Amino acid sequence: MPYRFLPDVALADVAFEARSSSLEGLFEDCARALTDVMVDRGTLQPRVERSVTVSSESLDRLLYDFLTELVVIKDVESLLFKDFSVTIDRSSSSLKCVMKGEEIDRERHSLRNDVKAVTMHMFGVKRQGNEWSVTVVLDI
Amino acid sequence: METVPFAQVSDVVWEIPTSYKQGMNVPARLYATKRLLQEMDKGVFEQVTNVACLPGIVRYSYAMADAHWGYGFPIGGVAAFDTEKGVISPGGVGFDVNCGMRLVRTNLRFNEVRPKIKELVDLIFRLVPAGVGVKGLQNFAQAQMGDITKWGVKWCAEHDLAWEDDPEHVEEGGYIKGADISKVSRQAISRGISQFGTLGSGNHYLEIQVVDPSRYFDPELAKNFGIVHEDQVLVMIHCGSRGFGHQICTDYLRNFESGMKRFGIQVRDRDLACLPFNSREGQDYYAAMVCAANFAFVNRQIIVNRVRDAFSQVFHKDAESLDMHLIYDVCHNIAKVERHSFDGTNVEVVVHRKGATRSFGPGHPDVPAPYRSMGQPVIIGGSMETGSYLLVGTKKAMEDTFGSTAHGSGRTMSRTAAKKTVSGSELQKKMLERGIYVKAVTMEGLAEEAGMAYKDISEVVETMDRAGISKKVVALRPIGNIKG
Repeated sequence: MPYRFLPDVALADVAFEARSSSLEGLFEDCARALTDVMVDRGTLQPRVERSVTVSSESLDRLLYDFLTELVVIKDVESLLFKDFSVTIDRSSSSLKCVMKGEEIDRERHSLRNDVKAVTMHMFGVKRQGNEWSVTVVLDI
Repeated sequence: METVPFAQVSDVVWEIPTSYKQGMNVPARLYATKRLLQEMDKGVFEQVTNVACLPGIVRYSYAMADAHWGYGFPIGGVAAFDTEKGVISPGGVGFDVNCGMRLVRTNLRFNEVRPKIKELVDLIFRLVPAGVGVKGLQNFAQAQMGDITKWGVKWCAEHDLAWEDDPEHVEEGGYIKGADISKVSRQAISRGISQFGTLGSGNHYLEIQVVDPSRYFDPELAKNFGIVHEDQVLVMIHCGSRGFGHQICTDYLRNFESGMKRFGIQVRDRDLACLPFNSREGQDYYAAMVCAANFAFVNRQIIVNRVRDAFSQVFHKDAESLDMHLIYDVCHNIAKVERHSFDGTNVEVVVHRKGATRSFGPGHPDVPAPYRSMGQPVIIGGSMETGSYLLVGTKKAMEDTFGSTAHGSGRTMSRTAAKKTVSGSELQKKMLERGIYVKAVTMEGLAEEAGMAYKDISEVVETMDRAGISKKVVALRPIGNIKG
């Protein structure tokens, strides 16, 4: 399981923990987890392709800003994505993500909770041996 | 709880002394019955005492009876900071700036609405968009955002989007002073511009309610709010500043974290990020937060306009004939500059109410003229199943809690646990059997908001009433609910 929800961390909100053997995989899993909070991804079609580039001052901030960007796109363009392909340049602490998804349609999509924000609570990308992990708490 | 040295102040007030934790500048005060205190989320005790350590906090760090864990500050927390020596904290307001409650009356009786409840709820569900990433039906130009977020409901009244007497029935007369759109990011404006008149999701709702005749506590006061029948129908709206406010909080939390290093402020928890209120960054956040607060007032106004239209269509009368005036609109996630007197001193403070409601008492100049002799209406929203309350503010709240009281019932069960206990469709059916017609964007989301996931609202309200910081007027029970 690339990520799991942590029901006891934030009573009124949603927390998840992601683990991956690669940093890119970790970012992609976090994007999937974030999207799964808002919609059943199985009901989305890959009709629209979008790419985002993000650069930040640290790896933690890079993930935080990337997830926040997805929340912003959801509100500004009403787009949710089912597939994510991330490439990270660690030397410049930047990333590019190519995403496929579509505009929100209340009739066709099985929608869940709106995410207000990504919080910094417990946030921190960790590496142990060959595994990357992070805990993310979302404000609902 | 064994390790927290509570001193009992009264049967519903408890104090944690400054000796409990190094760095506490003031004691913490908790409002709770013994049972609510025992059942309280233990994170609250840590958080309320962490807040007590922040620079310039005045008198006490408070947790109300509905308190539960939040980011940095507990939800149900109140803290006042000296405007000269104290701080302002985005975490003390919350992501959903001016999340609040609005109560609208009608002159309809239960028996008139009951046969049409399905038609009414279905129509409102169509007119008031709710759920993930939804766009509002009211479009404004980006160039108007400065005026809208500066003048709030007053702007609406000047543009035929509010009745003449709507602004005075909103906290602060419909707009908080000090907004400055130049302090708001482009991203926040892009997120909010198309979301006016949308409900959101999570615990936000729009509810058709009826006065509970068995809990019609103060008919005389109720009459002054236009509630004259034991089975009168009202509408309650719970929502906030949508993506606009969420982004402002996100932006400033980031700024504050780096700013704290420069001011040499250390806090016990990253989520308590704060800066001097009088610093440039502190003032910038305040100006942006006020924009979000005024946005939320307008959001609830646009929703009320749709609700008025819906009632008008269903009952074939105009909304004026249905007497659909606002009773009041209160913020429950906010920081506001206020003057308060206690122990012979008079101070200007920035009062943070995070999941707490202003509860100004009779005679206060900020209570609108029609209500001034009685106190400000206080609207406490319960879970979808358990009902809500209308109360009034008191002089004792002015003396004891910087004019503040609780805001709702407070969660006790995680969203995952609630979903495991009951399914959305099961809950919908059960609620219908109990006379509550619910329409929800998502069945999972509905299950997450089941009544058993929340504290007993009656005990929360009873605590505040017994403490004298708000006084019960009437209980309201739901008959129709729209959930985002």
